[in-house]
Amino acid sequence: MIDFTQETRGGWLVVRVKGRADAETADQLEAALRSAVDQHSRIAADFAALDYISSAGLRAVLQAARAAQSKDVEFAVCGMSAPVKKVFDMSGMQHVLTIHGELPC
Amino acid sequence: MKHVPRKKCPPHRRYTLELVLDGNLAELARLTAETARFCRQYALGDDLEFDLNLVLEELFVNSVRHGGCKAVEFEVAMTPDGVTLEYADRGPAFDPTQAAVPDVTAPLEDRPVGGLGIHLARQVMRDIEYHRVDGWNRIRMRRPIASEGT
Repeated sequence: MIDFTQETRGGWLVVRVKGRADAETADQLEAALRSAVDQHSRIAADFAALDYISSAGLRAVLQAARAAQSKDVEFAVCGMSAPVKKVFDMSGMQHVLTIHGELPC
Repeated sequence: MKHVPRKKCPPHRRYTLELVLDGNLAELARLTAETARFCRQYALGDDLEFDLNLVLEELFVNSVRHGGCKAVEFEVAMTPDGVTLEYADRGPAFDPTQAAVPDVTAPLEDRPVGGLGIHLARQVMRDIEYHRVDGWNRIRMRRPIASEGT
């Protein structure tokens, strides 16, 4: 199960992701983040309510980040819980993604 | 050969979670629910539950997507210091301990999209062993409760 809500705040389009980013929901996550990248020039993916992520979910974030890069869209991942952040760190995502502890706005 | 029913086993003395999953990603929901139930029943903690769920998902998705497996089976057993996991499928031989390590420092545009799942499994688990036995891939590993993390 995964859910998304969007909100524009302080010049950012905040995509709040709630639930689990696994092999079943990764396509939905990628679609939601890509759609945001198409709408705005600054995207904050708020993962505070993301309970779980696997490599399939990471790939979805990576693909959205690539789409953002190719369109010169700023893309930041924010508010990860400790276990989700551990998965990002083990995958070296901190080298290629902008990661904030809190929302930038 | 005539099928001889096995003698009824005495009640299980080991604390285990045994599951057979169909080779269908919709089974992830059951995998997650059963892992959560087992970990909570024995108070194994949120971190261990997360890691066990992660490893099982990565192995399962790998078996289904790359191995074309119609089913997989696994057993999680409690040990004095954590859990052991024995995972098996009948896909083509695949030794996770020998899988190529993805470059996790590559820049965004060069990031490989494959290989990350097994990499994660190898990061969170300890003492991974692989055996190919009679057409089965058998993977054994353990996860201490007090994992130092990575």
